[in-house]
Amino acid sequence: MKSFKVDGSTLSLALFTDVTNSKELLNSMQAGTLEPEVAFLNASLIPDIFPVLAAAYKTLLAKSRETLTTRTLHSELVYSYSGSKHITESLKRCGISENSTYILAALFDASDDEMKAVEKLINGKEIDLEELEGRADQAQIQKHYKITGLELGISSLADAITCRIASRDAL
Amino acid sequence: MGIDQDIKDSSLVLLKQGAEARVFESNFVGRKSIVKERFSKKYRHPLLDSKLTLKRLNAEARCMTKARRLGVSTPVLYAVDPVLHTLTFEYVEGPAVKDIFLDFGLHSVIEERMEDIATQIGDAIGKLHDGGLIHGDLTTSNMLIRSGTNQLVLIDFGLSFTSTLPEDKAVDLYVLERALFSMHSLCGNVMDRILAAYRKSSKQWSSTLNKLAQVRQRGRKRTMVG
Repeated sequence: MKSFKVDGSTLSLALFTDVTNSKELLNSMQAGTLEPEVAFLNASLIPDIFPVLAAAYKTLLAKSRETLTTRTLHSELVYSYSGSKHITESLKRCGISENSTYILAALFDASDDEMKAVEKLINGKEIDLEELEGRADQAQIQKHYKITGLELGISSLADAITCRIASRDAL
Repeated sequence: MGIDQDIKDSSLVLLKQGAEARVFESNFVGRKSIVKERFSKKYRHPLLDSKLTLKRLNAEARCMTKARRLGVSTPVLYAVDPVLHTLTFEYVEGPAVKDIFLDFGLHSVIEERMEDIATQIGDAIGKLHDGGLIHGDLTTSNMLIRSGTNQLVLIDFGLSFTSTLPEDKAVDLYVLERALFSMHSLCGNVMDRILAAYRKSSKQWSSTLNKLAQVRQRGRKRTMVG
């Protein structure tokens, strides 16, 4: 697990592949019994950590102003990352489903114990965050964020996603 | 484990102050960034002021990202804060076209570089206009050349709007023509090169350039007689 500073808080990220218990994770998350509270993101939609950090920034800002749109801080991160205003659809596509095997776990202001607990929670192989770029599903990303080839001529995939996350509420 | 990024601090350093906004340099989750703050105008009614400021803030964010979707490079938008009225975006390293052209005027024009920049400008404006986006403030100080790649980056979409009218496109070009004429007459006729590239890039070049001829006769404002 690796931690990043975002606006006075930290965001800890861990990437897992070959995850076998996503159904249980999903169930306990929806029941609100996940301990500690953590966000699970569909890692195929994430080509780089930067857009995740931008989404985290947006989430923390909403939290500090008590304007969260979703129920918890961590679900708000998934919602922010989606770049869409449709909550259910966002959580479905950018969160995990019953048969997800490739997951990015994200945790705000985690203690060492909490990080260990999260690593135990997930039955899968933890891999380096550097692997995100190579494993991202470009076709799926382009479809979800509506990114055309024209835009990719002047922009990286990650930058295009970041713009959509930032500008969502301005549209 | 451990904190990966060394963030010096996210303090703001004032770079420029204009009539509408202040521009700061800062750091956004580990990347150098620009923060543009639209401040309130004390002479306006507070309610009107906050509505106008917010409307323009959102319009700028929209136009900046729309330009990217049309294949025109602009700074990557990092965040929009509707409460503080700020936009945070990528810090683009590189000189403004204005400084490059002024330098050309002072020393001598490097033909190859001039041709490359003029072509990129015409191509970019053609793409914007075909997509129905008017920049609104095309001057050489609102164009940067990214160091390393020499890619043209358009900035300041504060006056941008969407329109498909030849009139609006022609005025957009006319503003640039006047700006080039007054700032960079020493560089020779840059506008002709820009328009040549515009013609290749925009499918609707013909109606726009016809209109431009009319706009040249009368100036930027339409006469409202009759």
